[in-house]
Amino acid sequence: MFEQFTDVVPSFFGYLNQGPLTLTIFLHTVIILPMIWIYFDEKKKLKNGK
Amino acid sequence: MANENEKLSVWTSISFWRRSAAWVTGFAVILLIWLTFNTMGQISMGTDADLKKAAQEHRVVSRVPGPTVINYHIDYKMSKKRGHEVPVIGAKEPFFGKEWSEKEAAALLHLGKLTSQAKNCMNCHTLLGNGAYYAPDLTKAWLDPAWQKGGPMQAMTNTNTTEEAMAKFLQNPSQYPTHARMMPNLGITEEEAKGLVAFLKHMSSIDTNGFPRNFSKTVEQFKTGGTNAH
Repeated sequence: MFEQFTDVVPSFFGYLNQGPLTLTIFLHTVIILPMIWIYFDEKKKLKNGK
Repeated sequence: MANENEKLSVWTSISFWRRSAAWVTGFAVILLIWLTFNTMGQISMGTDADLKKAAQEHRVVSRVPGPTVINYHIDYKMSKKRGHEVPVIGAKEPFFGKEWSEKEAAALLHLGKLTSQAKNCMNCHTLLGNGAYYAPDLTKAWLDPAWQKGGPMQAMTNTNTTEEAMAKFLQNPSQYPTHARMMPNLGITEEEAKGLVAFLKHMSSIDTNGFPRNFSKTVEQFKTGGTNAH
């Protein structure tokens, strides 16, 4: 799943592109996790507001 | 119970979708701006100092070497670690019989680039993934054994070096027919041909993450009597 970094010039995007799962995990972390937080935050607001 | 759940449905709440969309769009914008600046660094030319380091350590220091790379021998070797071929910058070798200074090399490379655009090489050839596949891919053309010592192109053009063979061919392509489609005469001058060869040599030293794929396989095939024609 995590492979040795092999690109010529190390960069953040190089790390994201090392294997098929690395980008997926990153995007889920930065998109899905905040959306889960937004979901529960909205639910709380709906509960309190109405 | 069902009624209560319906009231509390987050999925039908506009603000949930609005916030999610704002988050995803905002984050993507930041990421893409960052990626743009990161790419600028990755595709910038290296310096002469980088090249000296690369020649000492037999590896590529910057993805796109500086213009003075034309003063070095360039090899293309399979890297087990990376799983594809990588350009290897070796010892110094004369290019058109001399060593080019930083300024001269940059000027020659610039002339080559302008000529490649003026003569529309990409109309038939592919350069770094851009162009056509009517004629052979030129990305690693400099490394093609057909042009090297013992290859048919040096014998055909009656020259002793790769650069001279290429320059002579480019000035009068229709005079040297090969088994591949014949290249038309484009009225390339001697200086322009030198520039083009420098352009090709520099391009072959760019680390393209193994593109075009399996280039060295066709090299092996060529050495055993096969053909490099596409």
